[in-house]
Amino acid sequence: MSPARNRFTQLAHAVLYVSLVCWSLCTTGPAAAGTPGVKMGMILPGTIQDSDFNTLGYVALQEIQKQLGVTVSHSEQVAVADAERVAREYLGSGHTIIAFHGAQYLTMVQKLASQFPQASFIIISQGRSFPPNVWNITRRFHEGFYPLGVLAARVTKSNRIGYISGIRLPDFISSLNAAYEAVKQYNPKAEFVYAFTGDQNDPVKARQAVEAQIAKGADVIISALNLGVLGIVEAARAAKSPVLVTSFYTDKSSLAPKVFLTSLTLDFGRPYLAIVENILKGSRGGNFDMRPGHGMELSPIANTSPEVAKEVQAVFQDVARGKPVPEILDKVVAP
Amino acid sequence: MEIARDLLLDPQLWRLIVTMATPLILAAIGEMVMERSGVLNVSIEGMMTLGAVLAFVVTFQTGSAVTGIGAAMLGAGAMALVLAYFAITRRVSQLSVGLALFVMGLGVSALVYRIAIGVRLTPPRVPLLPQVPLPWLSDLPLLGEMLFRHNALVYLAVALVPITSIILFRTPLGLRLRATGESPRAVDVLGLPVFGLRYGASLVGGILIGVAGAYLPLAITGSFSDGMVGGRGWIALMLVIFGRWLPGPIVGGALLFAYVEALGFRLGMVTKAIPPQFLLMLPYLFAVVVLVRISRGAQAPRALGAPYHRESRT
Repeated sequence: MSPARNRFTQLAHAVLYVSLVCWSLCTTGPAAAGTPGVKMGMILPGTIQDSDFNTLGYVALQEIQKQLGVTVSHSEQVAVADAERVAREYLGSGHTIIAFHGAQYLTMVQKLASQFPQASFIIISQGRSFPPNVWNITRRFHEGFYPLGVLAARVTKSNRIGYISGIRLPDFISSLNAAYEAVKQYNPKAEFVYAFTGDQNDPVKARQAVEAQIAKGADVIISALNLGVLGIVEAARAAKSPVLVTSFYTDKSSLAPKVFLTSLTLDFGRPYLAIVENILKGSRGGNFDMRPGHGMELSPIANTSPEVAKEVQAVFQDVARGKPVPEILDKVVAP
Repeated sequence: MEIARDLLLDPQLWRLIVTMATPLILAAIGEMVMERSGVLNVSIEGMMTLGAVLAFVVTFQTGSAVTGIGAAMLGAGAMALVLAYFAITRRVSQLSVGLALFVMGLGVSALVYRIAIGVRLTPPRVPLLPQVPLPWLSDLPLLGEMLFRHNALVYLAVALVPITSIILFRTPLGLRLRATGESPRAVDVLGLPVFGLRYGASLVGGILIGVAGAYLPLAITGSFSDGMVGGRGWIALMLVIFGRWLPGPIVGGALLFAYVEALGFRLGMVTKAIPPQFLLMLPYLFAVVVLVRISRGAQAPRALGAPYHRESRT
């Protein structure tokens, strides 16, 4: 090839490459409305397919992207030991908002928040004191589980009520105590039995634990399990006499409509959207209480009389309006 | 007296024990068949998880539990053949390849579930296997409810005990299989296919382990979750040693372990004096204590875990 033709070929290639680059830049989607360049990462302890706690976190994250235009990323099944590394990777790649979707990451947030004052952190916990760049979401489970205790107290025919949870975290201890208080007030004759299976997501263990309670006569089971509730449903379905169940986080009544009383549903979109909006406006730290009427609702109550359903809904509204419910986080008061 | 009834005599308790022991029996007998031929498989947990997810997903998509169980058998059987290829033909350390397959099984299972089911706010569920009450036997007082009103997989697990005992100890095939695990050179000298016997045993073992995995979502929970096998694969491995590679004692060990597991929850209801964390630990503590005691004098197949080299002179 002659030198002139060679130079022409090189010039043509250069023009082509520059054109391609310009074309790709021009066809990039418009910058996210209102929040150009803001990136948020969410760290989740489980899989987003759990149709429960982690799915709700993921759904909230998608809502943030859709409504606020923030660029979002997430990491699933992050063990506590790995959370710091994952968070640092997010921070190193320009993410300025890091959400830890689980109370088990509490110490991680307290450590990283002081090391990265320019970033904002979100945590779900019962913690009380945080650095100024941390938003905390407090799940006031005791307020949500109190009406469930009322429901169980009114519905039980055997006067024996079971409560099942997985891990003895303060959240679940307070929910157990609140349910017990409600049962004591609304049906003093009822006996309250409880068990911790050691795993929020093991339906096999959950089924074993609930079968033990059903064998002792429990006919209403208050569940504070995540995926483990699926084992409870099967135990209730297999029981010789009717057993009714409540669940939480998502409405699982479609799994077994004849077995479910209600679900205490949580909408994490509400707190996360509010918090990220605040962060974008410059308010980098604070607390959001998830409680009845603020991210916590009762799904329609079934398998009981309309009078009982109405009474429980009224109690729920009373709590939403501020009726005090004792919060005991550090020990189980039920005998 | 009420405590004794709750902890020992309650038919519901024994019914639960039989239900929970079944996947352990299936997995342990599958592993026993493999180990009798000289192949050590430490990927039982991964195989069971793969069996569980395939059974659940296929049953959910097709509406047929039989198809789901078939898928679990195929998946776990394929995984067993992979183990066999590396362990027998390539002569890689069976422990290493087993551990790699264990991790791979967990990962592939999560991926299969993600692709097949996706993200949903309501968890998917499949109907449990129906009960098959045995005629006349299911009407017996107490025993009827405890033993004769279960699903078909429970009866299969029970039937495996005499079937594997007869095959292993009363047939030429069983003799050859056991000889392959004790002295593969002697088998080779007789002109019998050592590799073929080990591959066959691995396939059969893998299939049974797949059925064990399928049992969890199809007979106990109606759902799948990532950690649902919950260490039962490792317990099955322990049960083979506990049972001294014999089907009958393996079943005894599985029932004993399932009893201790159920006992933890029952004891927690009866008394609050025992810390609940100890009760949760109880089955695994029991496994360690029993294993230490029983395994003294337990004689594993002599060639277990050792690849066979036809060309070696010794």
